[in-house]
This record gives sequence, C-alpha cells and structure tokens, in this order.
Amino acid sequence: MKWMNRLFRYPLPYDTEGSNELFLRAVRENCRYQYLHNAKYRAILDGKGFHPSMLRTYDDIAALPVIPTLVFKHHAMYTLSPRRMPVKATSSGTGGAFSRVGFAWGDLRRGLSMVLRVVGYRRLFSLRPANYIVFGYKPHRSNHTAVTKTAFGATLFTPQLHRTYALRYTDGRYVPDLEGVIRAILRFSRSRFPLRFMGFPSYTYFAMRMLDERGISLRLPKGSKIMLGGGWKQFYREAVDKSAFYALAKKVFNIDDCNIVEFFGAVEHPILYCDCPRHHFHVPVYGRVIIRDVNTLAPLPYGHMGLVNLVSPMVMATPILSVMTDDLGVLRDGRECGCGLTSPYLEIIGRVGLKDIKTCAAGAADILKETGGSV
Amino acid sequence: MILADGVILGAEEQPCLLDELEDRINHTREKERLDTETVIAAIDQLGRRLAAGEFDGLIEAVGLGDKMEDLRSFTRLLSRDYLQRKVDVELGAHWDVPTVTEAAFGLNGTHTRAVPLGTLFHVAAGNMDFLPAYTVVEGLLTGNVNLLKLPQADGGATIWTLQKLIDIEPRLRHFLYVFDTPSSDVATLRRLAAMADGIVVWGGEEAVRAACSLAPPGVKLIEWGHRLSFAYLSGDWRAQTHQLTALANHIVRTEQLLCSSCQTIYLNTRDMTDIELFCEGFLPLLQAAREQHPMEDIGAAAAITLKNMASEVEAMMTGSAAEQPGKYRGRQCELTACEDSELTVSELFGRVWVKRLPEAQLLPVLRRQKGCLQTAGLLCDERDRERLTDLLIRCGVNRVTTPGGMSDVMMGESHDGEYALRRYIRMVNIEIPAAENHRTAPSLNS
Repeated sequence: MKWMNRLFRYPLPYDTEGSNELFLRAVRENCRYQYLHNAKYRAILDGKGFHPSMLRTYDDIAALPVIPTLVFKHHAMYTLSPRRMPVKATSSGTGGAFSRVGFAWGDLRRGLSMVLRVVGYRRLFSLRPANYIVFGYKPHRSNHTAVTKTAFGATLFTPQLHRTYALRYTDGRYVPDLEGVIRAILRFSRSRFPLRFMGFPSYTYFAMRMLDERGISLRLPKGSKIMLGGGWKQFYREAVDKSAFYALAKKVFNIDDCNIVEFFGAVEHPILYCDCPRHHFHVPVYGRVIIRDVNTLAPLPYGHMGLVNLVSPMVMATPILSVMTDDLGVLRDGRECGCGLTSPYLEIIGRVGLKDIKTCAAGAADILKETGGSV
Repeated sequence: MILADGVILGAEEQPCLLDELEDRINHTREKERLDTETVIAAIDQLGRRLAAGEFDGLIEAVGLGDKMEDLRSFTRLLSRDYLQRKVDVELGAHWDVPTVTEAAFGLNGTHTRAVPLGTLFHVAAGNMDFLPAYTVVEGLLTGNVNLLKLPQADGGATIWTLQKLIDIEPRLRHFLYVFDTPSSDVATLRRLAAMADGIVVWGGEEAVRAACSLAPPGVKLIEWGHRLSFAYLSGDWRAQTHQLTALANHIVRTEQLLCSSCQTIYLNTRDMTDIELFCEGFLPLLQAAREQHPMEDIGAAAAITLKNMASEVEAMMTGSAAEQPGKYRGRQCELTACEDSELTVSELFGRVWVKRLPEAQLLPVLRRQKGCLQTAGLLCDERDRERLTDLLIRCGVNRVTTPGGMSDVMMGESHDGEYALRRYIRMVNIEIPAAENHRTAPSLNS
C-alpha cells in the first residue's frame, strides 16, 4: 500500500494539481487490490470491460467504474474479513436503508493522517480546554453511524471539559433535548474557557433561533467556535441561507463567521472536506470530485450542475474507490474562491429525487415513492 | 386559509364557521337559486381576463409562473362557448326547464324537473394544478352549494381563483366554501361530509377509501379515481411514422403522469420478435421527441439515471444481467420489451412498456383492470378500425383516440364514462293530479 500511504502523508493537503500523479498511482494500487480480493468488485469491473491496468494516465480515473452509494445500502461488499476490520460504520440511513463500510487498521491510519493535516490547516487544534455542545447523537454502542463518530472525534481537537448532546439515548431511542442544550449554553457562556459547537447545522440553527426568540444574546468566551457537519439532509426544507446563519451566530453568540467551520463527508467517501475561510469546500489531495451529466454520466466542466462522483483510494477494506452520491453538485475552479487555495471546490446544491410530482395515473404514486425514496 | 362568503379567513376562524355553516347553507338553499347562465357568464369573464394576462402578476405570486402556458390553454375550457356546449351535451339544452309527461296507462302525469343535488363536498386531489377549482366549477354549473377541501400542496392558487370568480359575480359567494383542512383532521372532514348530499372525491385508491369512511349513510359518493391508459397498435406500424411520432410526443410531453397517458404500448401480435423490432424502430422516435421536450426536473432525471446505474451494477455483481428484460435505452427515455401482457403503470418519465396482446386476448387481459381503464390510443388499418374500436369498448375502455391525441380534450367527451354534471343533479317528479282518474291509479303500496 505504498502509494496510498504516501498520498495520505502528502505534506500540502490542498495541492491537488501537484499530487495528480501520486493520486493516480494510489488509485491504481487500490483498484488492483480490490479487483484481486473482492469478487463482487471484480464482477463489476469485468462487466464494464475495465481492468486496473487501464488506469494509465490521470484522466483515466474518470473511466473507472462508479458504484452508486445506493448499492452499499443493499449489499455488504467487504473486501477484507471482519476480523481485519476494527471499525464498521454506517450512513445515517435517511429513508430507511444505510450503507455499511468497513475500515482496516491501515485505512484508519490513513484517515488519521488526513484529519491531522486538514484540521491543522484550518487551525482547529488547541491545547486550551473547551466545553462542547454536540448537536448530534450521544455515542451509544448500538449507534454505528459515521456522523456520530466524527462528531465525537471533533470534540478531541482540544482537551475537553464537558460534552452536552442534543440527541440523548433514552429508552432505546434518540430524543432531542434542545432545552437541555440551551441551559448548558447559558452555563458554559459564563465559563472562562471557550465553547465549541459541533454537529448538524439544522439543530444548531434551531437552538440559535430559540435563543434569539427569547431575546438572549451572549458573548461567548474568546476562541469559541461553531463546527458544523452532517449536512442538511433530514431538514432540507428548513435549510437556510448561510449568510442568515452567520448573522444569527454573530447576534446570539458573538461568533464571527471566520470561527464557523463546516465539514462535509460521507461514510462511502470518508474524506474530510472542511470549508475555507470563505466557506467553500476545496477538494483535498486525498480525493477527487467528478461532476457528471445527469443523463449521460459524462464528466462536466467547472460550473455545471450534475451528479457528484467522489474518488478516493483511502479505504482498502471496502471498494469505495469511486462512488456516486445521491447529491447534485457543482465543482468550481479553486481560483474563483480567492482564499488562496487553488484546488477546485464543491458546492452541494441538493439531493436527487422526484419531488412534488403530480400524477393521476393509477398506481403511479407507488412507483414515484419507490424511485424517490430509494435513491 | 378558508374562503367563506367571498372572504379569506384564517384557520382560527374555522371552529366558529363550522358551527354555523349548516345554518348558512340551509338559508342559501331555502332562499337563493343559482342559474347556469349566471355561472357561465362569470367563468367566461374570468377566463377572458386570465387570457388577457390581467392576473399574470398574481399567478407568479402563487408560484404558478412556469405554468402560464398551460393556464392560457386552460382558459379555452372557461369560455362561454365551451361551457354552454358542455352543459348542452351533458344535461341537454334546457335541462332546468321542467318537462311534462302526460298521464297514460291509467297513471297520473308528472312534471319532471332536474334540480341540484344540494350540497357537494369536494375532496380534490393535488395531481393537476387547476383541478380543485374546476371540480367546483362543475358543482356551480349545476347550481349546487360547494364545500371544497383543498389538496395539501395547493399553494393558494385555488382560493385566489375562486375569490376572483366571486369578485366578478358576488351572487356565487353563498355557494362556495373552501377549506385547507389537512386530511389528518378527520373530525372536521366528517363534519363537512355530514353537511353534504354528495361527496366528490378525486384521487387514488387511498383517497377514495378515506372518503368512503367519511360518508354518512345516504350521502352519494361520486368518485373520480385514477386510471390507466395504453396504445394499441395493429397491422403494419412501420408505415405510420407520423402517428408514431405523435405517440412519442404524447409520452414525453405528459411524462406519463396523467390518467390518459400511455403506460404500455401493445402490439397485436403473439411474436416476441415483433416487439423487439418495434422497440428498435420506435426508440429513435421517442429519443427525438425527448430532445424536443427534455425533462425539466434535473433532480428527477438524476434520480432515474442513478437508479438505472444501481440496477446495472447490482446485476453485474449478482450475475443476473442476462435475466433483465430487454431494455432499449435512450437519453431520458427507455423502452422495455416485456414477455407478459398485463396492463400496468410504467416507470414513467418517458419509460414505456412494450408488450404483446393479440386481439383474441384483449378482453380477458384488459378485464383484469376493470374500473381502471381509461384511454386506448388506437393505431390500425382503416378496415380494422371499427371492429377494434368496438372490441376495446367491450373491454371497458372509455375513450378511444389516435395515439398522439390520448391526452387531448375532446368536445363533448364524458369523464371516465360518465357525464360529470349528470352526477351532480337529481331528477324530481311532481305529480299532475288528474281529478277524474287519480282515484283509479294503482298504488305501489297496495
């Protein structure tokens, strides 16, 4: 796994252009491994008439067969035996089914190396202890979701004093406790240590709105930060304009938008995307994003909306080398951002789906439900 | 939102309104009468003002800006000529004038008069933008008091349209009440249903079942359920490029979402080779039609591509690729050559089933969908037309059209085999006493 390890130790986390050759080698290495050790993956490549040796130039990566994340929801596709996978994570399971992805020790090492570099680049590590409000699930042995693991992981960026969770595990299910969170925020605001928030943007926004409606405006200790992750998916209709979010954070917590950081990732593509000071998700060296035409699946140039194909050679234990998410997105030239990073950045526009379709054809409602709900 | 007496009220007024609604309706039914001419004149004026673009700003505001073209074409159905002809065809030219049946066979004569059913409770479906307003228009044309429950995603367009109508003709205001009560508020729906003489329900099986449970005994249930349609091709289709192009256009333009949209293309054959040949020949036409009418919803297009992609990958993984039915894929369109003959809903959005259905099997196969059949788009040799049309009708089909015109509105057409207006009236008889012979008339009770 020479090339894969090398890629994840690459010193400049956003030098995608300079790492293209290394990325190609790592992809080829991963592809070859999956092809030799995973019969299902081999069947897909054979079915598509593709062989790892066809990855000759960087542009050949776009020709690598892409597996929709939907497939991981229906099939366990592990390349390694369970005893060689210390961690198995699942997606959040919006719509009922969830993907299962296993990680080997080597995968976790590569992941850790990536997190240290990306988080370090964004200066989120600190030796100063902090209190944490997690707008997410309190870890529980029955909860294998990646979003829970990453939210917990984010509380390790500093020594932690307290952690309060918005979703508590009570009587076999998760219940939101925003009132408890509000009490904790008021308590922590009087502490001399910074307060850090981590979790779903939607819950964070709800809590800020609740405080605002009660006329509460706090001056949180210096160094306080809002970290967001997990996406808007469940609360898509409630999705708010980012600038409204930043304005409310300033008003309620006195947190400037430079101290608001958002993460993006998926269990089927466990690369840490972290927004830049201008709040754009630049692609780090560990992954590549290909936006594809919604009909032909042909790769699209910058600025065009399409299906989001994510490529990364991080994981050996599961063939998630090139996956298609159920998001619609646009990739933009990194130079347009102006933050100094030149790697392209990804904007997620929404989810694919058949929304608000009206029909009177008998039985069609079930067809729509099936198509809209399963992707 | 609620519309009552021409005024828009907030939901908080609902309990109070419901308490006095029965009295108000009774008062209207006792004292007022709505004649067809008044209704037609008002609707005609609304249609003309819509067509002239007078309400374009409001239409944008209620989120129907992208439907402007559909709305303009819909205004044809609001014109005086169209409405008058509809009434003439469905009820007869002088339907509200009593007719006399002379005494005969020792029986007394009668005055026969068509009168409104009374109060109609419309449970409208959300599948067409202007349907909730249209069902009320039919109720008004027949002089009924109308209670309308809006579909969930109405967006305000219906209340706005009906309020404009009342602005034009204030006499309509006591004949029109609109509620945006959610389907989950069963108690309110039950109260509204209890005030009605007829419940007009639009929607799928679930909606119809729910309406049945609301209806108190004695209330007439008028159901306009969802339907299935298909094209039937007999004889040599190769020479009919023009008609097949029209069929392809119909399929992509309606996205197969309407009751009248073609879900399955049947060929009058027993031979699977014919089906395959047809798919090869028809796919380029469907593709060309799709290029003229691309899918507007990028999210829907992406969902379909992703689903196809996942099935393809899963088939490769499980080695089941060979078992998949014959797919003929184009861009944003698809034909599937099926072994079976059942009439089923397609995968929609330009993805059609193609199946064998020899003439001799038409009746047994289509009868399995009785109650659900609507339109057959027939393409055949001229000499076979009458025979096949007759056979399709015997199967239970209610509309026979050209393949390209399956969803076109036709003058004088019924709705799913019935004239809607006839279901919203009742015929009453008033005995003409004949002094000299009424004592000898036999009594049914004797």
